[in-house]
Amino acid sequence: MIYNRCKVLLPLLTMLLSQPTTAGPMGFDESFMAMGDFNNNWRESFINYAITPGDAFGISATYMRADDKTKSRTLEEIIYTHLLRRWNMPHAQANLWFQGGIGTLQGKDEDIGKDHDFDKIMVTPGVQFDYETTRIYFQVSHRLYRASDINHDYTSVRAGFSFYESDYDKTQPWLILEARNMNGLSDKIEITPMLRLIDKSFFVEAGMNTDYKPRFNFMFIF
Amino acid sequence: MKKLLLASLFSASLFGNVAIATQTIKANVNGMVCAFCAQGIEKKMRTLSQTKDVYVNLKQRLVAVEVKDGQTLSNDTVKAIVKNAGYEVTSIEMSEHPVAQIKAELEAKK
Repeated sequence: MIYNRCKVLLPLLTMLLSQPTTAGPMGFDESFMAMGDFNNNWRESFINYAITPGDAFGISATYMRADDKTKSRTLEEIIYTHLLRRWNMPHAQANLWFQGGIGTLQGKDEDIGKDHDFDKIMVTPGVQFDYETTRIYFQVSHRLYRASDINHDYTSVRAGFSFYESDYDKTQPWLILEARNMNGLSDKIEITPMLRLIDKSFFVEAGMNTDYKPRFNFMFIF
Repeated sequence: MKKLLLASLFSASLFGNVAIATQTIKANVNGMVCAFCAQGIEKKMRTLSQTKDVYVNLKQRLVAVEVKDGQTLSNDTVKAIVKNAGYEVTSIEMSEHPVAQIKAELEAKK
């Protein structure tokens, strides 16, 4: 299955590899970007450094847990981010990103009558598309989280709007609605409305999913 | 001889004034919709030794860079910085107004 997907994705990625730069999972040229995404079952910390306007290398640590708490995973990985394509329009911008990592996965499955611990190598290639104006936002991403006998593919769709247009040096509030699923860890599609605050120096989101579990995300470029 | 010296000093100060007139480069930029993402433009512009002040206006798609007195900044440098920050310059014009005035005028139009 991975082979079949790679057969489709690799030529597409090769064709699109070009173009410079920012907005999304990396900062501007020669900058660091730190990011965090935290809720009860998914906690991710990530930092990368942009070596060119369109390429960044980073490290990430992720904790994942099943809804019923019978499975838990910890992943430490090295991640490469690349801007595949950018469309700059008069009042909008769209981006297509590749993000992929490789790292070590420590897992624990608590089956009835027997616990099972394991260590594996995990690879995590994925793509993200986003479209944004000063008033609306849309993003879709799909990332494979694969190791031998493990499939925790992550799919997310986000859409939202800003409450009003704001100046460059003022904080702008947004309402964002996200739907996401982590394969093999949850059968549900997690829906989370979030308040997003964007300033030129920070980006934070806070919300609560439909199971009343809190969620907090941030990004910081320096 | 004295008159010649005075005339030289006068003309030097006159041309000196012309040379130190405010120069601001105004670039219209496509794709600049988010302050968090556009911060790279401002940070990179401010690292230039020639830059006196920078103003970014998302709604007007404008980046204005005021050049220090007696210094020059090429349009190509501005275009390259904007491009490397992820955006596209569609046009550039020169202004003799300082950034503070351009900012005040645009904010007064709201």
